[in-house]
Amino acid sequence: MDPSEVEFLAEKEIVKIIPNFSLDKVYLIGGDLGPFNPGLPVDVPVWLALNLKQRQKCRIVPPAWMDVEKLEEMRDLERKEEAFTPVPSPYYMELTKLLLNYASDNIPKADEIRTLVKDIWDTRVAKLRLSADSFISQMEAHAKLDNLTLMEINTIRAFLLDSLNCMYKLRSNLQPGSSKGQFTDY
Amino acid sequence: MSDVLSDDGSDVNQDDSQEDVMTPAELIAKLEEEANLQRVKKGDAKAGIHRMEIDRIRFVLSSYLRSRLQKIEKFFPHVLEKEKSRGEGDPSLLSPEEFAFAKEYYAITETYLKAVALKRMPSNLQTVDMLKAVPEPCLDSFVFLRVKERQENILVEPETDDQREYVVDLEEGSQHLMRYRTIAPLVSSGAVQLI
Repeated sequence: MDPSEVEFLAEKEIVKIIPNFSLDKVYLIGGDLGPFNPGLPVDVPVWLALNLKQRQKCRIVPPAWMDVEKLEEMRDLERKEEAFTPVPSPYYMELTKLLLNYASDNIPKADEIRTLVKDIWDTRVAKLRLSADSFISQMEAHAKLDNLTLMEINTIRAFLLDSLNCMYKLRSNLQPGSSKGQFTDY
Repeated sequence: MSDVLSDDGSDVNQDDSQEDVMTPAELIAKLEEEANLQRVKKGDAKAGIHRMEIDRIRFVLSSYLRSRLQKIEKFFPHVLEKEKSRGEGDPSLLSPEEFAFAKEYYAITETYLKAVALKRMPSNLQTVDMLKAVPEPCLDSFVFLRVKERQENILVEPETDDQREYVVDLEEGSQHLMRYRTIAPLVSSGAVQLI
């Protein structure tokens, strides 16, 4: 999957905004939104929030987890634990990038938040690399990866799945008389 | 957002699985709603929002269809073979247009091979068995999955000769990495979702 496709999926997450216009209820295919009243918070999907923000029609309220102290705690917990700790949001990386790019004026201490999220990401990706390495070398058949987000899985997906399939091909060719069909090489 | 969510879920399923996983009802429903919403003209703000949402849905649908077509092109003889051998009451894996596309692709490839190479070969070598020529989908490849309904006692086969097979329970909401073959029936029943 393309990272931009993962970002597309992340844009469906709900975020709070404070509009400066009024509009009555909007009936979208995916659900109802609104009504919008100036100064009153409304829940909308991120794709709409970003569009309204760019047209200067709203102010974005940062999600509860996007706070310096909370992120510091999470980063320290991540560094201590060997396993993957629960994430602030299943799309924390994409939401951080999108919200900080388009709405950094609405988010206090934006730079610190960017650094903290990057630290959390780096720690998790390093753990992921280690565990992928041990998965392949131990030739495990199954792994449980509960707290991984889609973006993290996506970074090693192509490499890991291809190498596992290659190894499977090599192994199954060792068994004499196995009647498996030819495998795709591309 | 539940409609769009389930559509996206099936879209992701399509990218990862080597088989064709079919969701015809959602396609048709979305297209109908799109036609309905063309009529919304009043108020520029609302029309803009609806248009943005329709664009997003159109993107999801077209990437879904694109992955299906790519799979058909990659595995066309096996897809046609599966269609031929399915039982009378079983739902079709392909839509009628996709089936026509697969048949045409088969015919065109056959004609092309004949015209370019086969007719110059000695006469007893002039046929090609497509089922053997085109690699079949590898159902033993690993996939990432998320569990929607709790499953018990899924057998995990050993990789090496010294390992034993063991069973795992799949908790609801957990994510796993394992071979496609063992969980293939769960994907079609919707109990797990590929990610």
